[in-house]
Amino acid sequence: MRLGRENAELTGHEDRTWHLAWNPKHPLLASCSADKSVRLFSYGTQNGLLDSPKFNPATSIPSVHSRTVRSVAWSPSGKSLATASFDSTVSIWERSSGSDDDGTASSGEWECVSTLEGHESECKSVGYSFNGSLLASCSRDKSVWIWEVQPDADFECISVLMEHTQDVKCIAWHPKEEILASASYDDTIKLYLDDPEDDWYPFTTLTGHTSTVWSLSFSPSGRYLASCSSDLSIKIWQREQAPGNRGEKWTCQLTIPNAHSRAIYSVSWTIAQEASAGSDEELGWLASGGEDGRINIWQIQAPEKSSGSNSSLRYSLLVSQSSAHGVADVNAVAWCPRDGFRDLLGSVGDDGLLRVWRIELDVVQMGPKSNKIVHLHYTLRELVLWDDL
Amino acid sequence: MPIPTATMDNPNPVIFSSKKDIRREVRSIWIDSSEEFIDAAEEGDNLPEVIDEDEIYDLLRSITDPEHPSTTLEQLGVVTAEQIKISGNHISVRFTPTVPHCGMATLIGLSLRVRLLRSLPARFRVDITVKEGSHQSESALNKQLNDKERVAAALENTTLLDVVNGCLATANLRGRDPIDAA
Repeated sequence: MRLGRENAELTGHEDRTWHLAWNPKHPLLASCSADKSVRLFSYGTQNGLLDSPKFNPATSIPSVHSRTVRSVAWSPSGKSLATASFDSTVSIWERSSGSDDDGTASSGEWECVSTLEGHESECKSVGYSFNGSLLASCSRDKSVWIWEVQPDADFECISVLMEHTQDVKCIAWHPKEEILASASYDDTIKLYLDDPEDDWYPFTTLTGHTSTVWSLSFSPSGRYLASCSSDLSIKIWQREQAPGNRGEKWTCQLTIPNAHSRAIYSVSWTIAQEASAGSDEELGWLASGGEDGRINIWQIQAPEKSSGSNSSLRYSLLVSQSSAHGVADVNAVAWCPRDGFRDLLGSVGDDGLLRVWRIELDVVQMGPKSNKIVHLHYTLRELVLWDDL
Repeated sequence: MPIPTATMDNPNPVIFSSKKDIRREVRSIWIDSSEEFIDAAEEGDNLPEVIDEDEIYDLLRSITDPEHPSTTLEQLGVVTAEQIKISGNHISVRFTPTVPHCGMATLIGLSLRVRLLRSLPARFRVDITVKEGSHQSESALNKQLNDKERVAAALENTTLLDVVNGCLATANLRGRDPIDAA
């Protein structure tokens, strides 16, 4: 697979970049780094589409964090940004009052409106629930905290879940319901629900990975959960209803062994693009990135209809981009969640850079004697991040 | 991660003689100077590919033990040339803690990792493990030493970083006697 590189190396963070997050409502992208800062990038849009493939640095948030900023997450409204740091705190950022609401770079300054303390060691991941009413954070202190988002940037801790036996690397919220997932250095994944009459509780532990589980991503429909690990595999877990057993269970339906040649640090799931959307909208595309410097895009498909009900999911590798960040590790990948921009993938790496790629349909191979499409060939094209160098 | 304390895990380690004969006829591609880290990092990609097992051993042999600051890992037999393997851009370093309950093993492993991080071109991927059966917490140690997030967090701890830098202070002697070098 080829890379159409349209720009030169760009200066980014001053140190390893750990994570990125697309604003779900506005043309903004946030990245965070070991240099303790958070950077925001904006992009131009017209009629709901990218007007030019250019991303511009909007602002650098001079972080209040005293150590590495490990992870960033936007609220569903796009108005708040949460940052998780090795300094053991979570900070909440909002744009100062008086700014307009169009999400452009010229609007008000981003200010820290709240700092959430409680974790005892490095905070590794943070995220808002689907409707923005809850926030979860996790840490090397083995705990997962759930916070209720209250008016005026007030946060109240409503649950501390001490279920893992080691460092909790990542949390992920279900896209449509209040279900929380966490992944750990103890090689397991845990899923949690709220008992309306009691507290949040872990309703299942997903075992199967044989090393640290680094990242989780629910499928857009919420029926599947993807996980990736230092064991070089990606696993897809499927939700199954099991009445009477405290609601439900999740089972492993697919393992992609040796999905990368070194530790896999990140997965991100999106709905498939137009050309192949007919195959199964519920499944779609999964991007993965890791220590081998690659970004892979996997198409996840339902079992063949003819092969019976017990057959498992299928996968195919759509794109494999080597050296996505030069010789550096890829630390995170994330698909843009906004309509019209879902073909955009962001990535960050140990080279300190943020890169934005567009997945493009490159070649359509037709069958020899029919008009039937036999193969779709995709390419990741890198977009210009800014043009004033 | 532990930091050195007054109580020693191994107060009387066995000392091995420095293997002077390991040095090859082909001289190191690195220049022995205080700026070798910078030279290696910036010029590594332009230099001929002669990073072999012996070169890695040279980079590591004169690191000192956190518990015995005047003794090198080579003299303690913690690192040996035989325990270093290179395959393409992949480097595997095994080390042997002096005693199976060695509380300094994490710190030694961290020092080896930091030395290679600072010295080698970024294209290399390094696995650091303790020799099989040489430590009571073998798998936990191996996991921690190869988790880049844990390593990154550890290196933000200034106390720990000072200890690591102390162990690395003599690393550029590369097996030479400090008196000869002076």
